[in-house]
Amino acid sequence: MSYKIPMGPYHPALEEPYKLDLICDGETVCDAKLHIGFNFRGIEHLAETRNYVQVIALMERVCGICSNIHTLTLCQAMEGLTGMTPPPRAQYIRVIVAELERLHSHVLWAGIAAKLMGFKTMFMTCFELREKVMDVLQAISGNRVNYSMNRVGGVNRDIDDPQAVLKMVEALEAEMLRTVIPIFTTSSTARSRCAGIGVLTLEKALSCGVVGPTARASGLPQDLRRAAPYAAYSELEFDVPVQQDGDVRARLLVRALEIMETCKILRQALTKLPPGELFAGDGKFDFTKLVATTSTSRVEAPRGEVMYSVSWKENSRNPSRVHVRTPTFANMPAVRWMVMGSRLADTPLIQASIDPCYSCTDR
Amino acid sequence: MTLLESIPEKLGITTPMVDKGGVHWLEPGAMTVRELCAAMNAVKARFITITAYQLPKEEGFRLEYHWDLDGQLLGFPFDLAGKSIESIYDLCEAVDWIEREIHEGFGIDFTGREYEPLLLRQGDTPGVNLREEAK
Repeated sequence: MSYKIPMGPYHPALEEPYKLDLICDGETVCDAKLHIGFNFRGIEHLAETRNYVQVIALMERVCGICSNIHTLTLCQAMEGLTGMTPPPRAQYIRVIVAELERLHSHVLWAGIAAKLMGFKTMFMTCFELREKVMDVLQAISGNRVNYSMNRVGGVNRDIDDPQAVLKMVEALEAEMLRTVIPIFTTSSTARSRCAGIGVLTLEKALSCGVVGPTARASGLPQDLRRAAPYAAYSELEFDVPVQQDGDVRARLLVRALEIMETCKILRQALTKLPPGELFAGDGKFDFTKLVATTSTSRVEAPRGEVMYSVSWKENSRNPSRVHVRTPTFANMPAVRWMVMGSRLADTPLIQASIDPCYSCTDR
Repeated sequence: MTLLESIPEKLGITTPMVDKGGVHWLEPGAMTVRELCAAMNAVKARFITITAYQLPKEEGFRLEYHWDLDGQLLGFPFDLAGKSIESIYDLCEAVDWIEREIHEGFGIDFTGREYEPLLLRQGDTPGVNLREEAK
């Protein structure tokens, strides 16, 4: 006889409010229904009531983890409206902050995954490391969550001493290589807890349209930094880690390997940081002289592809529409297929393996 | 000829592709959204999203369908005289949540599919145009 177990919207296994209705037969999950919307703030509609500068501050608050990615994507879309191109130094600074954000996001996820595996010591180690990444971000921007780095046509703040940041990044990389990476890639605890569970096949990954590390762990080599480079990514060398198994361990490995690639990108960007201006022109932009009335930008966020569409409104200081497509919005429906056939006890770890963000999803 | 360049011919679209605002735009003309989706599936394009716009005055709505083809973003605008359009959910599983979200936020009906309980809000009736409700 099957029975339904509700998980959420407020549950110890969930970091944010949403709900999974799990249909179980004994200890086996037969099906699942997902319910979101508990963080719905109407941000897209609110954006229509703010001017182009205020919208940047608003959109930085879509997510508390990848806040910078949202303003980066939005500013790139608005640059598409105005025809502005940020100067090279700004493009490199955008890469540096985006990769530091990816680093702290992946390490945060690793900590949460460790906790759900029952590997509490690793949770502590990951969060200690994440604090150090946050320290670097604070040293650059003065902030720990909303960095306010991006503006239309460039960035707001410079990196005055890239060599000092490079030293901090190298120290972080050494610590990651000593602890996080070997434990997640080779330890029997991680393997036994993650291998073979929550499988998303390549076929299902394609049909669900999943993105980011979730897609790459199912054998899809898609990464916008490579496929459609933005900022300074076309000038930097890095690999796109791909795994074929589609299980929780594959998603763990992809993120662990991406941490190393991120360090590689950071080292190059900090070394090659070109001199020059931080923003184009005199820092002002004119939304009465446009090259397009609608502009779209996509960026590879830590969880996958983010897309912003911004539309101009005649005789108004406000945009007529700002549409956001976040990675968890694309990835979350696939959780239904990941948990089907799994053990009930594995579902917290399986749903966490896509690194869900409901603030982003609900907006 | 690249795959992207061959798309208008594959779709039977005679108007030129316009590269603007980060998107390769194609006017679907007489092509229905279901025919378009089938064609996108055939070239293994990846569905990204649908962006809905409420047009000024009484002009209705516009839905812009986006697919990714080898890192290139394709856009297809569909102007809706009324408040409904055919669903492509049975052809493209990835469209499920965005069709539900647009249904709930703009009151647009995607015909030929069933809706589960509200995706983003609790307790209200589905298919409400939140922009008008907010006025």
